[in-house]
Amino acid sequence: MTRLSSSPATRGGAMRPPGLGWAAPATLFFAVFAIIPLIVMAWLSFTTWSGIGSPAFVGSENWERLVADPAFQQILWITVVITLAAILVQTPISLLLGVWAAGGGRTRAIVSAICFVPLLLSSAAIAVLWRGLLDPNFGIPGELSDLFGGSGNVFASQWSAIIVLTFVSAWQYAPFHTLIFQGGARAIPAVLYQAAEIDGAGKVRQFFSITLPQLRNSLITSLILGVVGSLTTFDTILILTRGGPGGATTNTAYFMYTTGFLSFDFGMGSAAATVLVIAASLISFFLVRSTGYDRMTSEKEGV
Amino acid sequence: MNSTRRRVRLGSGIIATAAAVALLAGCAGPAGGDRPEGEIHIAVYGSGDVSIEQDTVDRFNETSDVKVILDPLPGGDNYQQKLRTIMGTNSAPDIFFNFGSGSIEEYVDAGLLMPLTEFIEKDPQLESAFLPSVFDGARLDGVPYGIPMRPVQPVFMFYNKDVLAEAGMEPPQTWEELLTDVDILINMGITPIALGGADKWPTLTWFQYMYDRVAGPQLIKDAVAGDTSVWDSDESHQALSELRDLIDRGAFGDSFDSVSFVGGGSGQLMREGRAAFELQGSWNYGSQLTADPDFTANSLGFMPFPAFDGGEGDPGNIVGNPSNYYSVLQATRYPDTVRDFLKLMYSPEVAQAQLATGGLPATTTAAELIPESAAPEFVQFTYDLVAAAPNFQLSWDQAYPTAKATTIHNAVEDFFTGRLDADGFIAVMKSL
Amino acid sequence: MRRGHNYLAGAAAGVWLLIIAIPLYAMVSSSLKTRTDFSNSGPLALPTEPTLQNMLEVIASSFPRYLLNTAIVTVAVVALVVALVVPLAYVVVRNRGRAVSTIFRVFLLGLAIPVQAVAIPVFYLISIAGLYDNLIGVILPTAAFCLPVCTLVLSGAMRDVSPEMYEALALDGGGSFRAFWTLAVPLSRSGIATIVVYSALQAWNGFLFPLVLTQSVDTKTIPLGLFDFQTQFSVNMPALMSAVLLSTIPVLIVYLIARRSLVQGLMGIGGK
Repeated sequence: MTRLSSSPATRGGAMRPPGLGWAAPATLFFAVFAIIPLIVMAWLSFTTWSGIGSPAFVGSENWERLVADPAFQQILWITVVITLAAILVQTPISLLLGVWAAGGGRTRAIVSAICFVPLLLSSAAIAVLWRGLLDPNFGIPGELSDLFGGSGNVFASQWSAIIVLTFVSAWQYAPFHTLIFQGGARAIPAVLYQAAEIDGAGKVRQFFSITLPQLRNSLITSLILGVVGSLTTFDTILILTRGGPGGATTNTAYFMYTTGFLSFDFGMGSAAATVLVIAASLISFFLVRSTGYDRMTSEKEGV
Repeated sequence: MNSTRRRVRLGSGIIATAAAVALLAGCAGPAGGDRPEGEIHIAVYGSGDVSIEQDTVDRFNETSDVKVILDPLPGGDNYQQKLRTIMGTNSAPDIFFNFGSGSIEEYVDAGLLMPLTEFIEKDPQLESAFLPSVFDGARLDGVPYGIPMRPVQPVFMFYNKDVLAEAGMEPPQTWEELLTDVDILINMGITPIALGGADKWPTLTWFQYMYDRVAGPQLIKDAVAGDTSVWDSDESHQALSELRDLIDRGAFGDSFDSVSFVGGGSGQLMREGRAAFELQGSWNYGSQLTADPDFTANSLGFMPFPAFDGGEGDPGNIVGNPSNYYSVLQATRYPDTVRDFLKLMYSPEVAQAQLATGGLPATTTAAELIPESAAPEFVQFTYDLVAAAPNFQLSWDQAYPTAKATTIHNAVEDFFTGRLDADGFIAVMKSL
Repeated sequence: MRRGHNYLAGAAAGVWLLIIAIPLYAMVSSSLKTRTDFSNSGPLALPTEPTLQNMLEVIASSFPRYLLNTAIVTVAVVALVVALVVPLAYVVVRNRGRAVSTIFRVFLLGLAIPVQAVAIPVFYLISIAGLYDNLIGVILPTAAFCLPVCTLVLSGAMRDVSPEMYEALALDGGGSFRAFWTLAVPLSRSGIATIVVYSALQAWNGFLFPLVLTQSVDTKTIPLGLFDFQTQFSVNMPALMSAVLLSTIPVLIVYLIARRSLVQGLMGIGGK
């Protein structure tokens, strides 16, 4: 009766495993609509193409221009700033809210239900909403000019425009990260807290010595999704600031869009997109490796 | 050893997917090359005038077997870019709105546009019915590529009569008077000049007029023709320093970069008396009329751009768009239908519809039709301005090829917000 | 579960609640105002004479068409994703061969590919294929970029189906196909719900692909329609806010009806 033994090595023993054919449709589809575009992107970055006619090979010209362009270094810097700001603001908020919401009770359920709403709205809807509310002449700053100071034009300076972007992105994404932490916090065994209470540990101490370490995996998940998401912020920038004032909030994704679809330098735009892919992959790889997330998933996968 | 195996597998995977793509492209290929059957598409700039164009299309479709479909693209600073994107695809429109000149140069060079010579041979009125100076705006190397389809659109000053009366001032005739008025208005807590800076092209109109008044019309003609040294001239520097002076006085307030003309922002500021002047195209009359007919009839003033003492440019010179044009895709399936449709552009119905919103038709009969207009005073003013103008400078962003427009827009915005100084601006213009 | 009260976190949650709720309130309230009322009282005051005029104005525009387009895209994307990912997740869990684990790794790598990066090549390929300004051209890449997350989520859920059940089925003489339909699919329903929710939200809210792959009213989706509304009516705040509000109503209705499974579904994306 070895067939009934369920040691990991012979798991699913009797049945022949399903063949590769089951994976073929998804793999082929993904290859055609995601992998091939990536290859085409890399190829386009070595061509010049204006959208009319066919791309012409120009070697490394786009790359040389991109590397030499001081504006592109500023764009990379802005990308980093916007990403870091988003993570630094939304992670603590969602962590606190998630842990708080994990506790039961009617109030918490209602508050969570309302705070969840932004997650349902498209980033376009959210950006349009905030653009309207923050309009210097016809929105809230016009009404509460004391609060916003001076002209109330929050889109006029680099730092205030970045604050707006950070705030709106926290408004939009904190609910999702809250959910991650809420799920994680619910899974923490209550015994740990009971033991801590017997030891006389206060709430704050419990948070740092039990909750936080136990939420390690949730934190890593939230960070990876947050970083890759913020790195490629686009809709919000297009609608809220149009990369302005004067390019001061133009990140790599927005630069890719304007270079390609507004200035018709698709070769250069592709080079910028390639930088974006490389950066996103490297950062994910680094985060995954340095946090041991891959070991965590491979345990889960059993691969 | 492992990695070689993986590489082989990866290699075969790529080959397999490449084959799949080839297959896909093979299936879709022929469909992509064909033009749709039984219909022609017209792309237009989505603004208030679309209703006139829709009426024309509806009228045409009543008797035509091939149906015309109007596709308004969202207006604002992105029309030309969106059009430019579409022109390279299977969705390229049969007929499209454009600004003539540089805005269609690339398409002409790529052989995408149909020379309208044959159309005109069959129906000479397609050319002779329009004012020659306007018609020539879409002539490249002597070949006509566009038929005027919207009113003549010079840019000039609009103002709120009530605000000027309250401030006890007359419309300024000279630059000096304008500066004085600006200071008075600022002291009254009113933004002197409304500017739709978010759209960027309204900002550009200030450069167009300053360069014309200070340096004369030849400078930009030389620049577009390729002589970039003109940007370094003393006149160029002077035009920029005059503008800088105006901006630094606070003439445009401090949130113009968030105000949109297309979205209705600058117009509303002037209507509400929060701003006194606005430099805009003649289409602004129609926009104000739609928003508030009473205000437009009673309080909306208009005047030429002020003269500049000691400048090279004639105070009669104007800038703007001679008109907008319909150009035709070479590949269109139904050239005869297209020609028949274009004939409507000189029909009395279109001219009357344009006059009803304060537009001056681009036809030779315009002068006689003015009394029929709903706003004869305004249309007469436009007509006199255009008729007397020694030079009508096409907007810079349309004189240059479309791909340069974004660079120009960013430069004028940055100059106005102070992020670019005169030398920086000149460097950008020389790089075009 | 923790007992007792954490006042600090409670206060923070209260502040955050206001930050979330005030803009939502301003959206609803502005959409019910006349333009004059709005310019007199601003976005925060209650409407003096509530009106549905703005909503009707939006409904009378091309909005219903955008709604239909968005619904088509959403249904098609969800159907594609489910049809592709469910068998893939099944084979990832049940087949322990090298080839399958390589495929799975490719999908994991796909998690790091930002949609933004492929806008240009996708535009290029879609226009060569003659699918520009065609909803199919939007559906295909949108679905493709849902695959990595969905594969990860669903294979996680399917792994929870215990091996013993497969063995029992095998004793009955069942094969892979029967195991798929009678075990894997029914027992990973919550995982499937998660990928449905995820891909539906991605498709419903998608912005970039519609932006670069469509142009006409016939193919416009709601997020893009909102962007156009904003360009054209940035000053007509009541109409603009009505459009935003109307765009969210379908999702809000689903949320009210199926809040629990929606929340559970989204929690599933972050791992359990």
